[in-house]
Amino acid sequence: MSDFSPNWLIASQSARFVLRERTVALLAVLFVVLVLISAWLGWQATSTVNQIYLQAAAFLAAAGQPVPSNPVLEISPLALMRNMSVYVALIGALAAIVIGNRLVSIDRKAGVLPLIGIRPLHRSAYADGKIAALLGLVLGLIAVAALMAVTTLLLLPALRLTGAQWLQLAGFMAISALYMACFGLIGLAAAAWAKSETVGLLLPVTLWLTASFILPQLTANLNPTAAINPISALAAAPDTGFFHLSGALLGPLSVADAYKFASANLLDYLPQGLSSPSVISPVASLILLTLAAGGLAWRALTRMAMTQGEFDV
Amino acid sequence: MPDPMITIDRLTQVFDGFTALDALSMTIEAGEVFGFLGHNGAGKTTTLQMLTTLARPSSGSATIAGHDICTDALAVRRSIGYVPENVRLYDTMTAAENLLFFARLSGVDKPKARVAEVLELLDCAALASARVAGFSKGMRQRIGLAQAILHQPKVLFLDEPSSGLDPMGIKMLRDVITRLNRDFGMTIFMNTHLISEIAKTCTSIAVLSHGKLVYHDRIEAVTARYGDEAALEALYLSLTPQGRLAQVA
Repeated sequence: MSDFSPNWLIASQSARFVLRERTVALLAVLFVVLVLISAWLGWQATSTVNQIYLQAAAFLAAAGQPVPSNPVLEISPLALMRNMSVYVALIGALAAIVIGNRLVSIDRKAGVLPLIGIRPLHRSAYADGKIAALLGLVLGLIAVAALMAVTTLLLLPALRLTGAQWLQLAGFMAISALYMACFGLIGLAAAAWAKSETVGLLLPVTLWLTASFILPQLTANLNPTAAINPISALAAAPDTGFFHLSGALLGPLSVADAYKFASANLLDYLPQGLSSPSVISPVASLILLTLAAGGLAWRALTRMAMTQGEFDV
Repeated sequence: MPDPMITIDRLTQVFDGFTALDALSMTIEAGEVFGFLGHNGAGKTTTLQMLTTLARPSSGSATIAGHDICTDALAVRRSIGYVPENVRLYDTMTAAENLLFFARLSGVDKPKARVAEVLELLDCAALASARVAGFSKGMRQRIGLAQAILHQPKVLFLDEPSSGLDPMGIKMLRDVITRLNRDFGMTIFMNTHLISEIAKTCTSIAVLSHGKLVYHDRIEAVTARYGDEAALEALYLSLTPQGRLAQVA
């Protein structure tokens, strides 16, 4: 028998194809470049402040004046990575949607579904392979982002992360992977379910726009422009009955809000006294929504018509 | 009496209230080259999709090599090869890469060696390292046949295999079908429009009209009764509504 399991074959073949796609490559490069910029901005700001402090401290010490504490050390070094949460929420999620869409549409556009459908493998093997490919690619992107974040934090002068902070950073990377996987899985599901390629791509993008900009307006009265700022996106909701109700009802479904609160908490920039309006914790919300998206993708992939060679026009 | 390779019992497919296939029942023996004739929309492709386990029937049942298409789909898939009407492959990959992928998915032992063997068998080893994107219809059809026989199936399903082929391509296809049937004992189930191909290749035929089986017999019986190819064409036309209209006109 062949040495390769069908799931692994489908996953590796699909991932290889998607990596060759220009749109996917462009979005992945954009994501990595933005993460790099985010890390560089954090590094630049901190080292500038640190340099000024060191000069001022030397001057004050020479003048016999008391030297205040280094402001760099007063904020958590993890907060320097806060811009990354915006890039994950915007470019990362979009990249994941495109990856999810392409993983299915490569087979549909190539017209090979009937040739795969008659192979001696369960429909679930095809679904598992596609989901594994998506998770592998998302984890790959997050691994690159994590490598940049770790390098930046190790190179920053005057900053040393504690063991707990390294764990918090790992937690942030994990929830970022979950957030991207959630949208990637929706992309997979839509590409498998939709009759046309355009609908397969537009549907998850519409859901992403709703999650990123409309739900935060309903739960916290946030303007769309505020929603893309890591600090203003964490403003407290107006103290009215409507926002209490919408926060409680829509909060668990607001994946973007859940990600923002969870990442602010893990990266130590959540304003004191502020908490998610949702009735369940942001991390639990993220896990549940990603699992639901996974279930949706699996169902759509296992029920996809293998008789059809390609998308309808 | 040879064993039945394909047994179909009241196989029915209904799409949104429209009966595409209406209680089809027939038996095809092992080693036959079976020609399935019918007008466009008669239900030939629908039948083939159900027999290849790509679609589930609304009712009825069928077995391929003794395996039920609904309850034992994996065993059916191990026993069959399928060439769709328009062979579509991964265009950015070479012919050999495409075949290797399908061979591995089929669980073929020593897939690389098998791909080389099949390409040699179909006289298309020269296409192995060429990208599929530049292939003609005839070349695609050959690679389509190659992917269908990689795992040495007992039954080969062909959906309009000669559609769009030039005379050379049609002759090549006929030769390949004959060799696969004669040398490897493969049972061939072929959907087609071409009466001439039926007469030259098939051992039995059936005619489908508006989802109903209207004729099924061995080719010797058909030729004995109707004589030559022209008479066979007249038989086919008399059994299909378009044919009857054409005859009236």
